[in-house]
Amino acid sequence: MSEKGNGKLGGAIKRRDMLKVFSAVPAVLVPFGTALAAEQKTSGSAAAAQTASAYQRKVFSGHEWETIKVLSDLIIPADERSRSASQAGVPAFIDDWLNFKGGKLKAEILGGLTWLDLECNREFSHDFVSCTSTQQKKMLDRIAYPDKAVPGDSNYVAFFNYLRDLVVGGFYSSEEGVKDLPYLGNKVVPVWEGCPPDVLSQIEQNLKTKRVGLSLASDQESTQS
Amino acid sequence: MAAYVLTQAGAKVLMLEAGGWYDTAKDSKMLEWDYQAPHRGAVKPNTTFGYFDAAVGGWQIPGEPYTHAPGTDWNWFRSRMLGGRTNHWGRISLRFGPYDFKPYSRDGKGFDWPITYDDLAPYYDKAEELIGVFGADNHIENAPDGKFLPPPKPRCYEFLIQKSCQKLHIPCIPSRLSIITQPHHGRPACHYCSQCGRSCATSSNFSSPTVLLPPAMATGNLDIICNAMVREVLTGPDGRATGVSYIDKKTRKEVQARGKIVVLAASNCETSRLLLNSSSAQHPNGLANSSGAVGRYLMDTVGADGTVGFFPVLMDLPPHNDDGVGGMHLYMPWWNYGKQFKNQLPFARGYHIEFGGGRHMPGVGELGGSERYLGGGYGPELKQGCRKLYGAFVGFSSRGEMIPNDESYCEVDKNVVDEWGIPVLKFHFKWTEDEILQARHARETFREIIETAGGEVVQTYGARQNWGISRGGEIIHEVGTARMGSERSTSALNPYCQAWDCKNLFITDAAPFVSNADKNPTLTILALAWRTSEHIVDQVKKHNI
Repeated sequence: MSEKGNGKLGGAIKRRDMLKVFSAVPAVLVPFGTALAAEQKTSGSAAAAQTASAYQRKVFSGHEWETIKVLSDLIIPADERSRSASQAGVPAFIDDWLNFKGGKLKAEILGGLTWLDLECNREFSHDFVSCTSTQQKKMLDRIAYPDKAVPGDSNYVAFFNYLRDLVVGGFYSSEEGVKDLPYLGNKVVPVWEGCPPDVLSQIEQNLKTKRVGLSLASDQESTQS
Repeated sequence: MAAYVLTQAGAKVLMLEAGGWYDTAKDSKMLEWDYQAPHRGAVKPNTTFGYFDAAVGGWQIPGEPYTHAPGTDWNWFRSRMLGGRTNHWGRISLRFGPYDFKPYSRDGKGFDWPITYDDLAPYYDKAEELIGVFGADNHIENAPDGKFLPPPKPRCYEFLIQKSCQKLHIPCIPSRLSIITQPHHGRPACHYCSQCGRSCATSSNFSSPTVLLPPAMATGNLDIICNAMVREVLTGPDGRATGVSYIDKKTRKEVQARGKIVVLAASNCETSRLLLNSSSAQHPNGLANSSGAVGRYLMDTVGADGTVGFFPVLMDLPPHNDDGVGGMHLYMPWWNYGKQFKNQLPFARGYHIEFGGGRHMPGVGELGGSERYLGGGYGPELKQGCRKLYGAFVGFSSRGEMIPNDESYCEVDKNVVDEWGIPVLKFHFKWTEDEILQARHARETFREIIETAGGEVVQTYGARQNWGISRGGEIIHEVGTARMGSERSTSALNPYCQAWDCKNLFITDAAPFVSNADKNPTLTILALAWRTSEHIVDQVKKHNI
């Protein structure tokens, strides 16, 4: 027999229930540094806990994994604001994503990695991961700039575009990357103040310097009655 | 809504829900991070929504198929949960305008409703006051103002787009969403996390389990049975409804529930499916269907999504929070009634424009295609370039009116049953030139808005893709299929959404709709349901049913 529904519904929510919901939220973000350390300690998110050894590979061989790790960090290295792509869990993201999507994208990436090793062996007698930093950069410079690449390399320019998108997307959707941009949302905002004045002035300035022929300054009152 | 009005009036109401119980306070995933979900929260299976979206169900429900006529592309989104799609919808709450109730009288296309805007206005008032809708009085032609809470201030990028629209003489006004910007009837105000699609743990937006059901349950007059798949309306020898037959999903056994009055609000296609599956000696063509109107004139909203602009003036701005409410703070209501009335446009009905972007929550595809803007590269320059690009993109969508046509309808598929033994629906659907040319106009308008703001169109759709017009059902605004009318020979329901053929049967979802304006249907469903429910109370008191 179907159970009768007599459970509680959201409309009956009381203040202490609200606090229970909100206490699950990380503390309001303070830009960079301190927040990063605090979040990693308290958030317990899957991304923070993940290391290469904990993650079970689904698509990449051990060698491909190492190659992706090196490539990821060449594409998105560590800097003063955030760590590198591999430190943010990007190799695991890509491996999982290729397993999830399969198809053309998976072939593209595996094929590109195969080609990369092939070219490095022909030119430097080593796989990509075993090349020197200078050799690696020489190889990437060949395929990283669509406007400058030779026509014969077009397939591998395309491969590197796909790879770059995966690393960039994987990094900036990670906990680390979200804070790097920074994305300042997904939190409780008791009062919505609208657009900060300094941002509005920056847009206005940009409109002038880029000669767009629009101004934010006039006529804002007409939107509100 | 019917449960709310009827229980308040003292009626004993049994509500049968095909899905399970849903408690927004407990089940909402707002404030979760996409990186906490599989595949960075990219997708919830069976939907085109993210992992944490509140929908339970989707385009395909295991065990509950639907079929298509050859050549039809119809996509049917069903949410099997208490409150259905009200748990995760976009909260866009626009009144139909006076033109929308009399489109045939205006331009000779489609059909007129048997009621006018003035008939429904008091119920729009009541619905808005109950659920809480923000907006501003703007006196726009055919976009009536309502009983509004204060609207939230525009986001930074919204100011830019608004200025562009003003230069093009396109109205860009505060949107109207059922999200409360101040405490309302005991519900706390919105906290601007922009996660309405995940349902709101604080009930700060409208969904029926948080706004309508608690007061209904508080009367003591409402029983809710979940996991009850209704298969048909039962009728007696006099042709009146006596109740419904449903399958208990746990036991797979039939249960019959008796009632003096039956109200169907299963979502329009399911409601019509029920009617068509409820044949009897007195109703040989299905219930409420002596006119043959049941299943006919299926409509969805015309959508043109995915035109994206890149705006150099939005690059490298001081970091700020662009979240706000779960939807646009500004929108563009249709502005070309005059031109259409004078036949100066090649399509007869209009659309409104929605837009969004800026510094949104980063997802899997974040900053994809960066080589187009940064020239390629890798390393420190790429990382810095990405930071500058973030927030500089805005996407545009149109939501417009479809004119009902004879080739768009649903019927019962005589060869297929679902896992509950209930014959399934078979869909027929097509767009006409009116809809396709409307989508073209939208693409052209998006381009103008983007370029006037100094932007570049980086993604859109052209003629060969039919201007990227949405697929049937894709906008999830399906209405019609048991339309109301002033004559029983051409409609299923009278002007009070009461079945001509069965006077104790009423419909309070979108099945009665005669047209599908360029306004999202939910607010009109609520207002119409309120009016219908008051009529039920009135008729019961007068012993007319």
